[in-house]
Amino acid sequence: MLRQSCLKAVSKQAFSTKPTSTLPAINKPAASVLSKQVARNAFAKSALPGSMRVAAFHASGRQAILPALPQVIDGTANDAAKFPPPHPSHGSYHWTFERAISVGLVPLTIAPFAAGSLNPLTDALLCATILIHSHIGFESIITDYVPNKRLPKTRKAFDWGLKLATVVVGVGLYEFETNDVGLTEGIKKIWTA
Amino acid sequence: MAALRTTSRLFAASRPAFKSQIRTRTMATITGTAKSGVVAPSETTTIKEPAADADSKIKTFHIYRWNPDEPSTKPRMQSYTLDLTKTGPMMLDALIRIKNEVDPTLTFRRSCREGICGSCAMNIDGVNTLACLCRIPTDVKAESKIYPLPHTYVVKDIVPDLTQFYKQYKSIKPYLQKNTPAPDGKEYLQSKEERKKLDGLYECILCACCSTSCPSYWWNSEEYLGPAVLMQSYRWLADSRDEHTEERKAQLDNSMSLYRCHTILNCSRTCPKGLNPGYAIAEIKKSMAL
Repeated sequence: MLRQSCLKAVSKQAFSTKPTSTLPAINKPAASVLSKQVARNAFAKSALPGSMRVAAFHASGRQAILPALPQVIDGTANDAAKFPPPHPSHGSYHWTFERAISVGLVPLTIAPFAAGSLNPLTDALLCATILIHSHIGFESIITDYVPNKRLPKTRKAFDWGLKLATVVVGVGLYEFETNDVGLTEGIKKIWTA
Repeated sequence: MAALRTTSRLFAASRPAFKSQIRTRTMATITGTAKSGVVAPSETTTIKEPAADADSKIKTFHIYRWNPDEPSTKPRMQSYTLDLTKTGPMMLDALIRIKNEVDPTLTFRRSCREGICGSCAMNIDGVNTLACLCRIPTDVKAESKIYPLPHTYVVKDIVPDLTQFYKQYKSIKPYLQKNTPAPDGKEYLQSKEERKKLDGLYECILCACCSTSCPSYWWNSEEYLGPAVLMQSYRWLADSRDEHTEERKAQLDNSMSLYRCHTILNCSRTCPKGLNPGYAIAEIKKSMAL
């Protein structure tokens, strides 16, 4: 209620004053603004101190990204919830692969620095594993936060965007490996720079 | 009465002077007003609020209120004060006392008052728990806040709508599924070791404290089953007598139902019965891995 009345009063003032004076009015001391307002709209002045008008101005930008929708019950309350169709490549196989990649990353990250030698093969393997690992991680974020049921188009855009990004990063890493010093050497150089 | 009073006063004035003052004051009369017509403050008494006992512990409870009969009004927090020396030790005692003595419109679910029915699950001081198993913090300076279970649709005040939760529980078929008859035609027997696997699983009372504390369940409750239902799913996967294990696993084998669990472990932390849904989910994942 209070916020609504604040906003209402603010918009009223914005309409009542000249456009040139409204914008700086937010940053000016309250007294000068109020003295202008006295002649025009005494009620709006007394209802709102200057600080509150500024607060209302800033608070107006607060919006939930995906506000909760009204409750929808699929079928009756006594029907069982439906399962998505089984898809092991997005389920159990995916999980096993993901864990294997994560576990494999540990020795791959330590090995080149511990051995102190530069092997193009381990370097390439590390690049590929990191790429897959981050792809799976970002995919998981998209599945969590961009619901397919509610935002099917946005979800599709995000999925393809991620695929594109992974390809671009993959090409970039390939270029870095073949035409430059390579990942391990690059990190070493940054570390000692 | 007013008429009577004036006549009696007239009557008193005409009485002889030697009559005692006490006997003449039969009704409420005002004396000493003859001069000014105003009662002097020294002759009046003020009825004060009953003073709190010196040893009373007054604690403030802020409770979430929302009435479906007034859908346009926003939810609000209402404050109640109770003397802890006259209240039972648990949060549910305080709620029942508020409903009985202060505000009968306060709405909440409760049944067994001993942590076996799971009705009084709510968010107390930021933790999902059963009101009947949650002691009132004796520090009276700290004010307690009571909300409904987070991220649920609210029916009224602190009563959440658990329809989706129960529908999901039904979807995992929480009952014994057999293809073959019992060997002796009477009952399905289990060894002690097989029975031991169900300990820590069958005690779940489905209060929904864990599921509603899981961020992953907040975002994807339409498809992700949530810790409570997954732990019950594991209860039937781990049961040696059940013969539909593969069907049960196949149901979960998609990206949403099971694998939205990211081992946040809010579930194990909040469980008012001290169970470990996070461990049960990890066991399902392990059993489904290659």
